[in-house]
Amino acid sequence: MAVAAVHSGGIAGHIHPEPQGFVRRYVFSLDHKIIGIQYIITAFVFFMLSGLLAEAIRTQLLNPNGGFVAPGTYNEVYSVHGSAMVWLVIIPLLTGGFGNLVFPLQIGARDVAFPWLNMLSFWIFPVAGLMLFSSFLMGAPTAGWMEYPPISLQGAAGTSMWCAAIFLVGVSSTITGINFVVTILKMRAPGMTFTRMPLFVWGQFATAPLLMIATTALAAALAALFIERQFGVPFFDPTKGGSPVMWQHMFWFYSHPAVYIMILPAFGIISEVLPTFARKPVFGYKLIAFSSMAIALLGFMVWAHHMFTSGLAPFLQLPFMILTYIIGVPTGIKIFSWTATLFGGKIHYSTAMLFAIGFIGLFTIGGITGIFLAAIPFDLHVHGTYFIVAHLHYVLVGGSLMGVFAGMYYWFPKMSGRLLNETLGKIHFWLFFIGFNCTFLPMHWLGMLGMPREVATYDPQFTFWNRFESVASYLMTFAILIFFVNVLWSIRNGRRSGPNPWGARTLEWQIPSPPHYYNFKHIPTVYGLPYDFSQPLPYKGLEEELTDSPPPVAAGAH
Amino acid sequence: MVTAVLAALAVAAIVFSYTFPLERYLPAAIVTARQVDDLIRFMSATGSALYIFVAGYLVYFAIAFRAKASDAPDAIGVQIHDNRKLEFWWTVIPLIFVIILSVVSVRIWYEILLEPENGLVVEAIGHQFYFSFRYPQINGEVTDEMHLPLGVPVTLNLTSADVIHGFWVPAMRLKNDTVPGLVTTIRFTPRLAGRYPIICTQFCGVEHSEMDKQVLVIEDKPSFDRWYKGWQQKNARVSNALPGVAGQAIPLQGGDVAAGKALFSQKCTACHKLAPFSQTLVGPGLEAVLHDPAHPDLVNGKAANPADVASILENGYTGSMGAMPSASSNGLSPQDIANLVAFLNTLK
Repeated sequence: MAVAAVHSGGIAGHIHPEPQGFVRRYVFSLDHKIIGIQYIITAFVFFMLSGLLAEAIRTQLLNPNGGFVAPGTYNEVYSVHGSAMVWLVIIPLLTGGFGNLVFPLQIGARDVAFPWLNMLSFWIFPVAGLMLFSSFLMGAPTAGWMEYPPISLQGAAGTSMWCAAIFLVGVSSTITGINFVVTILKMRAPGMTFTRMPLFVWGQFATAPLLMIATTALAAALAALFIERQFGVPFFDPTKGGSPVMWQHMFWFYSHPAVYIMILPAFGIISEVLPTFARKPVFGYKLIAFSSMAIALLGFMVWAHHMFTSGLAPFLQLPFMILTYIIGVPTGIKIFSWTATLFGGKIHYSTAMLFAIGFIGLFTIGGITGIFLAAIPFDLHVHGTYFIVAHLHYVLVGGSLMGVFAGMYYWFPKMSGRLLNETLGKIHFWLFFIGFNCTFLPMHWLGMLGMPREVATYDPQFTFWNRFESVASYLMTFAILIFFVNVLWSIRNGRRSGPNPWGARTLEWQIPSPPHYYNFKHIPTVYGLPYDFSQPLPYKGLEEELTDSPPPVAAGAH
Repeated sequence: MVTAVLAALAVAAIVFSYTFPLERYLPAAIVTARQVDDLIRFMSATGSALYIFVAGYLVYFAIAFRAKASDAPDAIGVQIHDNRKLEFWWTVIPLIFVIILSVVSVRIWYEILLEPENGLVVEAIGHQFYFSFRYPQINGEVTDEMHLPLGVPVTLNLTSADVIHGFWVPAMRLKNDTVPGLVTTIRFTPRLAGRYPIICTQFCGVEHSEMDKQVLVIEDKPSFDRWYKGWQQKNARVSNALPGVAGQAIPLQGGDVAAGKALFSQKCTACHKLAPFSQTLVGPGLEAVLHDPAHPDLVNGKAANPADVASILENGYTGSMGAMPSASSNGLSPQDIANLVAFLNTLK
């Protein structure tokens, strides 16, 4: 068959026959869309488990004397909650999940560059997740998600399991990062120049190098901690000549860029949802794309702002403070541009749009308190307190998780061919939004007044606000239950969406929902940015995508 | 109109930030605490004003530009792509603000760093799960409360006997980690008498939550002197030896001078000369280290004395002044340390 050769833009032009059989299609799949959905389902299972741990934390804190679980158990609970939410929920959802699902479609590719590596990186992830949760069986880690030595050297056997599990998730992340960088660099459709890429692709393109480079520092740190715990080689134990502060440098050299791994793809989601529902182009495309890259680069130069109390020499701390302030500039550009995107729009309030606007409102609070925390004199007061807990949840829940929900409501039709129920969706949004703010806003005040983090009991003067937060957190949990009910109900009974229910203009909406395994019958040619609603779509070669014509592939072809 | 409302709200937020009675909720126990409060007020005022404008316009646009029932279903918004001028200003104005904030916060930070250096030297040592305190002229450790005289500058050296703890007094708006094997220093001047909780802010083990029971007492000089004399008498017979990190006390009496001298030439001369302090090789010269009245303080901020010299030999030092290996990496037993101290004690 000569047809396949006609559109052969290198590897992208080459269609493999669809795999047959349940296992090859849905379990050990090579299809980026299926792998993306596998990531999303797995991450949401871990999200439920670590959400339950979060509720155990809030239930413990209903009373100043605790009493729900023993202090030792409580320490295990918040340590696994933090580790799982970061490494098993937010990062996999935003990179492996939505990244895999969406960006190859948006650049007009048939798959990622290395499908087998993609399958490997997915299958490492649930194994690592089970390892992390299994640490409860042997005494889970207790020193928080940061596991500072020397206390983590004293931790139960599960701490070593934690090292191994996080190491494996890191391997999975690194592979995903390599895969995404190569895919974006080499597999864009003809005409899809860098300045024509959708902003979600830019988000992934800024994130992938962070996954590749920063995670290696974490891997080294974890390997060292594991070796010290199991074989006694003193990397961190000061009584044997090690340096506990070295762990903090290595950990934060990863974990600060990891903050951007968890937010840049969410920025990308917001930058797609806003123009679609405001029916106008995203404001300042170039600056939004450029600021993602600037944030990713600056993100490597600020890690020690987590260590202002660790005993670094003052002249070493100064540049970290000022560079962190500077990150506020590109972040501000994004926030102002998104706000300006709404100006003059015809805004349609789908649930995805509500989450996107909620994201801007809440993430901005987390961003501003982030600037506060970069100020050394203020950090010397609130470091290690509930102010930090409040700040990080505004960024990671008010920011990243709201972005995930926006993405879920927006791309669910692309995954399933059905819409999520909008009424349940709106109830989900408002309960979550109110519950979230009531849970985390008072924590700023508690931290300033003297409530440290990672405590199983606290000073009775803080009882009122802690009870208030706990009750509000139950509201959040209820909202998330509604979300799960919505997903499970809609996947069978939701209204059929058709290929493009939102009238969106990026490439993934120009093909059926869910797309065929080969994505595009013919790789389209791109002539411009997708976001101008007054122009015709800037694509050519999509005429057959929504017809019944067979894909140009020879049955049994290689 | 909207801008006027938001501006009014922003002004209200700024007035609120500068008039809020923070000290009613959290007293300012040291001089620099009030400067940190100034920074909090400045950031709260600018941060909330910025937020009011961002969130205000967000909500306003979200309501004003919603699609109405009268609109055609395929109506589109105004196709604005960008605005160079607007983008220029919302890049430049935040940059200017970054410069202002840098100046403001560096100035306050320097006030904290530049507190007097010649103050009362106190040492706080983190333990699982309490802090102990060492004072000049009091043998051993004070284990219940930390007392400081009002108005007298303090140099507080922090270290740990086991894992990392965080030493935080919220009323001081100041904290630092206590890191094993490392001495860090904070300096401050108490300005308000009272009892203030000391809280651990780094997870340190199963009873971490209970490490908020000790207090810092700031009191007038006579009361402090009474308390101080009480502990001097109480601890008169306590050995001044620091419990080693490994839990073995270092016997400071009965060191063998000859053995110490031999050991010194074997282990120490690579970095230290037997010459005056200023003759640095890698570390300082050690001639008359324990008997020179003009000798500077040790790296842990204490005047040179046998117990602290022993402590440095045991724990080593890593910090702004360089590094010295600990006893375990240098292969020194507690008896070796005692011998070395005995030898150094003979140098006059």
